Amino acid sequence: MKKVLILILMLVSANVFASDIPRIPVQTDTQPILLQDLKGQVVYVDFWASWCGPCRKSFPWLNQMQQKYGAKGFKVIAINVDSDRELAAAFLKENMAKFTIGYDAAGELASAFQVQGMPSSFIIDRKGVIRHAHVGFREKEINLLETQIQDLVTEDHLKTSAKE
Amino acid sequence: MMKPIFSMAILAIALSQTACSMQPVQPWERDSLAQRKMQLVPYPNDAFLDEHIYFSKEASRGGAGVGGGGCGCN
Amino acid sequence: MQLKNKHKPVRRGLALATASLLGVPVVNTANALQPSSEWEVDTSILFYAETDRVSLAEPIIRARKDIGDDQFLTMKLVLDTLTGSSANGAVATGSAQTFTTPSGQGTYTAGANETPLDDSFHDTRVALSGEWERPLGASTRAIFGVNASTEYDYQSIGVSATFNWDFNQKNSTLTAGLAYNADTVNPVGGAPVGFTPMPTFPSVKATQGTGLSKDVGDLIIGWTQILGRKDLMQVNFVYGNESGYLTDPYKILSVVDGTTGDTNSYVYEQRPDSRSRQAFFWRWSHMFEEDVFRISYRYYTDDWGIASNTVDMHYRFEINPRHYLEPHVRYYAQSAADFYHTSLIDGQSYDNASADYRLADMTDTTIGLKYGVSLSNKSEFSIRAEHMLQQADPSQVIGNQSAQDLVPDVTANMLTFNYTLQW
Repeated sequence: MKKVLILILMLVSANVFASDIPRIPVQTDTQPILLQDLKGQVVYVDFWASWCGPCRKSFPWLNQMQQKYGAKGFKVIAINVDSDRELAAAFLKENMAKFTIGYDAAGELASAFQVQGMPSSFIIDRKGVIRHAHVGFREKEINLLETQIQDLVTEDHLKTSAKE
Repeated sequence: MMKPIFSMAILAIALSQTACSMQPVQPWERDSLAQRKMQLVPYPNDAFLDEHIYFSKEASRGGAGVGGGGCGCN
Repeated sequence: MQLKNKHKPVRRGLALATASLLGVPVVNTANALQPSSEWEVDTSILFYAETDRVSLAEPIIRARKDIGDDQFLTMKLVLDTLTGSSANGAVATGSAQTFTTPSGQGTYTAGANETPLDDSFHDTRVALSGEWERPLGASTRAIFGVNASTEYDYQSIGVSATFNWDFNQKNSTLTAGLAYNADTVNPVGGAPVGFTPMPTFPSVKATQGTGLSKDVGDLIIGWTQILGRKDLMQVNFVYGNESGYLTDPYKILSVVDGTTGDTNSYVYEQRPDSRSRQAFFWRWSHMFEEDVFRISYRYYTDDWGIASNTVDMHYRFEINPRHYLEPHVRYYAQSAADFYHTSLIDGQSYDNASADYRLADMTDTTIGLKYGVSLSNKSEFSIRAEHMLQQADPSQVIGNQSAQDLVPDVTANMLTFNYTLQW
């Protein structure tokens, strides 16, 4: 019985992520962004670092997604966790980002989102609820990720038409 | 002959286990550990050459192997 | 939380000075080489030379490719060309000595009071290895390897598998690995029968055939623990077993008079046909701001009676983000194999015996310095110079042998050039 309880506790703690978006503003090169202010859009929050290999692979795909769904109310916010902003700048020179970059050198946001591994992504729906969380970036998960984005982008559209 | 090895191993593992009671290093704090110079084998060719020289000139061999550390990505 | 790297004022001054000397712009970028890239090619060449003995040149080319899905393939090609002479196991005496070459087709001599050296080895060895790394699950990775090597009298082929399990947000890793190698020895002139006399040319030695085999198995269990943001430790336990032909077919022993110590004859050596060994290995890496200190310790023991302690330390000084200097110190001490005898006493019988000084009570001290420079943020060049001193003690000094340096010190100098490129 003890073992079962411990197992359940472990599983629960492994799967817990903040379903409410943290209220910490995201620092950018311009104005800080409060994620709550982005309600109405589907937001893809990605945590990345200059020292993270898979992050290099995710950027071209993120560019693609931003371009494809941006007009339908989709926004990528890639939050950098490097302690030295110059390292992030060097990475961005080689890996162009056509989406918003945020900075979290102290790891406050990463901690609030309970990031389990690098990179980590959180897909937030138009109502500001975190609907999907992914640890790591793998080429074979690209289709699943895109489907999740598509579903959230078209979701409210369906609901409103059903109401009418 | 085996006893000193076992007691050393147990002591080392016990010491390293005290780290579990310390705060683990978070996934976003792996910047230093991700660097090549902080890998268990920072210069693979050097390690191979040294291993070859000492294996040829001495009576002992082995020990190193691979392991963890690094950026912990994916 | 202190996060920004603070360059000490003195070091910054030094960095500016060296940078302007080399015409390199002072840029505060990440330490050159990337933690990961699609391709990485690492080439090195080692020049090794012992004073009056063996010399070798060893080029290596190692290539690693990211093949997608968190899988990597590594290939390595090693060449080593050996020239010069090595001690044949006989001891120096007050008069000149003549020996028959292993092939049985010639002779060579050692002068009075000179350690006998056999210089009939000029050998090139080629080794090829491959490794495939892949994830097996969310927190499990595997590395599968194959290796093969060949030289004119020795071939080896082997396989290995290593598994890593990550725990505690990848702060801890359990490693388990297995390796197996099958070797074949084809000694020049055939493998001599142990304890048979070295014949006087043109007689031939008694042989036990060619194509002798040797099997080597290794098991490794390890635990890696991250102790802090800049702190890493590993503990390994290794068990190994060898069986088959473990003797050196080219080494002999002097058979001496039990009172005077004068050499009467020479016999071929013989080692046991099995060897079981264990080792405990510990290493620690710690980053001080940008410098890295590495230390390792190994305790080794086997059923040949050998026990050894090894301490190895490196300190990497970051002169600036583009240059580093890394001094190195290694100290090794071993106790002799049960069957190590500097010379045999005429009339006594032995189960096994070898006068190979590498099995004697011995210490090995190495000091070295490595200099590395980043040529770009994807390439690095380095030079490493090392000096090694090996000192061994004889097992016994009999009669007139006290006038000889029975087991002379061996010194070696090493120079290694390395170039790493990523793209």
